[in-house]
Amino acid sequence: MSIIQRLKNTVRSRSIHVCYVNVGSCNGCDIEIIACLSPRYDIEQYGIYVHNNPREADVLLITGAFSPQWEDKLKQLWEKIPHPKVAIAIGNCPISGCVFNRPETLVDPPVSKHIPIAAEIPGCPPRPTEIISTILSLAPLIFKDYEEKKK
Amino acid sequence: MKKTVDISLPVGPVHPLFKEPCRIKCETRGEYVLSAEVELGYVKKGIERIMRGRPWQEVMFLAERVCGICSVIHNYTFIEAVEKISGITPPERAAYLRVIVNELDRMQSHLLANYSYCYTIEHETLAMYILNLRETVMDQLELITGARITCSYIVPGGVRWDLPDEKEESLRVALDHIDSELRRFVRIFETGPFIALRSKGIGILTKEAAEAAHAVGPTARASGISVDCRSDHPTYQALGFTPVVRQEGDNYARIMARFEEVFQSTNLIRAALSRMKPGSVRGGGVIRAGAIQYRAEAPRGELLYDLVTDEYGRILEIAIQTPSIMNTQVCAHEMLTDAESAADITSIFISSDPCIACTER
Repeated sequence: MSIIQRLKNTVRSRSIHVCYVNVGSCNGCDIEIIACLSPRYDIEQYGIYVHNNPREADVLLITGAFSPQWEDKLKQLWEKIPHPKVAIAIGNCPISGCVFNRPETLVDPPVSKHIPIAAEIPGCPPRPTEIISTILSLAPLIFKDYEEKKK
Repeated sequence: MKKTVDISLPVGPVHPLFKEPCRIKCETRGEYVLSAEVELGYVKKGIERIMRGRPWQEVMFLAERVCGICSVIHNYTFIEAVEKISGITPPERAAYLRVIVNELDRMQSHLLANYSYCYTIEHETLAMYILNLRETVMDQLELITGARITCSYIVPGGVRWDLPDEKEESLRVALDHIDSELRRFVRIFETGPFIALRSKGIGILTKEAAEAAHAVGPTARASGISVDCRSDHPTYQALGFTPVVRQEGDNYARIMARFEEVFQSTNLIRAALSRMKPGSVRGGGVIRAGAIQYRAEAPRGELLYDLVTDEYGRILEIAIQTPSIMNTQVCAHEMLTDAESAADITSIFISSDPCIACTER
């Protein structure tokens, strides 16, 4: 392993920037992500920063069943995120559509039809601890030795 | 002659400060905001279309998922509307328990709104204090109902389960803790020179404009309009409810109105706890056919359910009017127009506490 790779591994393990996007959720999952910021859960002690800016994000958290407005916008947003990147679906909605996936609905789940999803957290909504533990367990799998794996 | 260039400044839909996707399109001259328009439609799910023709047992859970922040009030309003149609009266203890859960939900919603505002004006310390206090409220909600969000505690004819004595004691301790902590945070907010600089006299909504645009909730009450649907509710009347009204009509007044309502909610919960007598919390009843328009006060303002049921308990027609649709429009057309600085756009918008998921459903 090259020195530069080792340096990248060290830096990436303590600096995970998170962007969340609501593609048609009821807000429940979004406020559970915000609750992660509170000193009770303190997501920043693990080196995870919620900035909600796709240009500097590593992890994209997706909440909500897929509403038609996001058809092209979510792909554009996904392309704006620099490599290495990973998308996590939060809640039942991006997985199955939850209660919204019924006849006459406007939503079009699952989100994995549109962009690659690495992990899914079921729950309506999931607890903040589950969100933090998923990001923490997934990040090393994706970000460690990223350049070496790509070769 | 030098020509003044007007710039169209879009804010959103994915923005560091917004919890939900929406786009504000502003016409600016330099820093001065000439006009603003809020563009919605990013989280439209068509809940009312799904609800039509379904039994109330399903619509109850769908109504709760109209909004994740104020889920209890949607549950409360839908169930009370259905009860009014069918002539069901809940037991007295259940009526007080409903008020307790509703006020806890209002407290967490107001604290979240004030957290967002403090975060927007970059006072992160106070924002984190308030967000941590919100977790205390969420703990009590979870203790009483069994879930943090979407708890579906209220059912026709009562509530799901009773409040045992030990939980009541823990609720009283939590209320005292919230009161003492929040008094400190309100003092920080009132006396902070930078908070005053970013809040006082910014985003002014006059009483006339608020009346003309039908502003509701804390946004209207901060502009001197005494409008609150809780004063028409029999249980709240028994608890001696009077609305909080402030006169200034700026960002500062809106946030302070929410802080005062949190104190008011703790007092209402204490009053409800002291009046509650032991007894049944769940009566029975059959849902009958009928039509009703039912109003209740959500954390953001007046919420209206207009529904028609048939004799099998199915919902034939339903229309929901949520408070944020009025508040986002009054924000765009009155508060944002003629704002002095483009840097204030986000803080003015957040101070009106928009809930986009509610608005679009």
